Amino acid sequence: MISLRFQQPSQPSNFDTNSKMKAVFLYNFTRYFEWPENKKLNNFVIYVVGKNESLMSELKNLAAKKKVGNQEIEIKNSPQFNSDIISNIIYFSPNIINPIGDAASKNKKQGALIVGETPESCYKGASINFVIIDNKLKFEYNEKAAEKAGLDTKEDFKALALKLIN
Amino acid sequence: MYKLPKIITNLILSTLLLLSIGVYSQEEKLYRARVLLDSKIPANIELARLCVDSLVLDSVTKDDFISWTLRSFIYFDIYKRTEKNKLNSDLRDTIISSILKSNKLNPDETYAGNNKKLLQNIGAGYFNLAKKMLEDSVNEEKSLIAFNRFKEIYKILEPDINFKQKDIEYNLSIGSVFSDIFIKDNNNTKAQNTAKVALLKVIELDPINESANINLGLMYYNQAVNLSKELDYGADFTQIDFIQENMIKLAKQSEQFIFKVYSKNNKNVRSVEALFYLYRMLLDEPKSDEFKKIAIELGVKFGDESPAKDEKINEEKK
Repeated sequence: MISLRFQQPSQPSNFDTNSKMKAVFLYNFTRYFEWPENKKLNNFVIYVVGKNESLMSELKNLAAKKKVGNQEIEIKNSPQFNSDIISNIIYFSPNIINPIGDAASKNKKQGALIVGETPESCYKGASINFVIIDNKLKFEYNEKAAEKAGLDTKEDFKALALKLIN
Repeated sequence: MYKLPKIITNLILSTLLLLSIGVYSQEEKLYRARVLLDSKIPANIELARLCVDSLVLDSVTKDDFISWTLRSFIYFDIYKRTEKNKLNSDLRDTIISSILKSNKLNPDETYAGNNKKLLQNIGAGYFNLAKKMLEDSVNEEKSLIAFNRFKEIYKILEPDINFKQKDIEYNLSIGSVFSDIFIKDNNNTKAQNTAKVALLKVIELDPINESANINLGLMYYNQAVNLSKELDYGADFTQIDFIQENMIKLAKQSEQFIFKVYSKNNKNVRSVEALFYLYRMLLDEPKSDEFKKIAIELGVKFGDESPAKDEKINEEKK
């Protein structure tokens, strides 16, 4: 009896949907916050603290396609938090926790939206914390932390948050 | 009156003579047709065809299995040069009918064996055609006709044959071809349905078939990945929520098929690797870490998993 093989078996895509979703969220946050005027003069900087290659790749892709207002998006990255890097958004990878408080205190009224991804983030000074509920990416919001950072927030943003942290 | 028996005798002798000349002439033709066939020269084969066609119409040789088998081989020679890739071929039909006629005339062992081999070859030709039509022109309807004809031929050879394995193999191929089409074009719901029906048919025949379960699972998973890839960075939170909802549904559908394979064999590399990606998509870190660890133990190498690499792979596929 003849036996013939047809196609190669399908392969799972290694595309990191989680990173894509975070990049979409981070870009969306820019619609709900008003940065101080001095943060609108140069590029809109998204600063990633910690190693996260797939998120970096997604954000670079985002930077190539979108702008924030008239500002070009620029992506920066360092393995540890560097307070000398001027940015509009600071995203802390989940393995980087301790410097969130440090970053928050150094960025008072400086106009940097701090985004974390650990249960303590919003309690340590981050304005936004990514959480996972029922397999979905959601976020918690600390309005006071955003105010301290010198950011004006649109009122409807609160309704989008899973939880408000004070 | 005495002359009458002589006339009758002469008539009988003349008839016998004519008959013997006729037989001799048919044997000559048979020999000639065979020599022409053996020459392998296309023009000669055409002459052989004329020769053998007259043989099978002749009252003396029409009931001779040798003529019919020879006819099938002569036609086969022309067929393989001219009509092998045609779904409908008069030459092929003539070969089959000639073989069947020869088989009815109780051929000896050698001729019966030759008939069988030639019929197997014709059956294999249909199977190859089914494959070609699926892969090259993605013509599922014609491919299915060819596949069913392949089965009809093999049923002649072995009336009790069980096609379960061939049905599985063929439907897996349809599933694989059409799921790939669907993965590349998520709007092609026809390809999606064709793939699903084919893979579910395999699962019906063989519920724990590894390839069908994995391919069906991966089809759902890759569909979810495509939703994510196509999501615009500027999508609002309502759209994001809708996409996440659909991705979860697809990922959970995928999970039931892939996990079935893993449950049967927890060393199955494809299922372990797929489960890692699946749980990563579902943001289930403990499970994705667990399956990543198992996958690494089983020899899977995870390199740079940036989207750029993934897209590069897709480009190469195209």
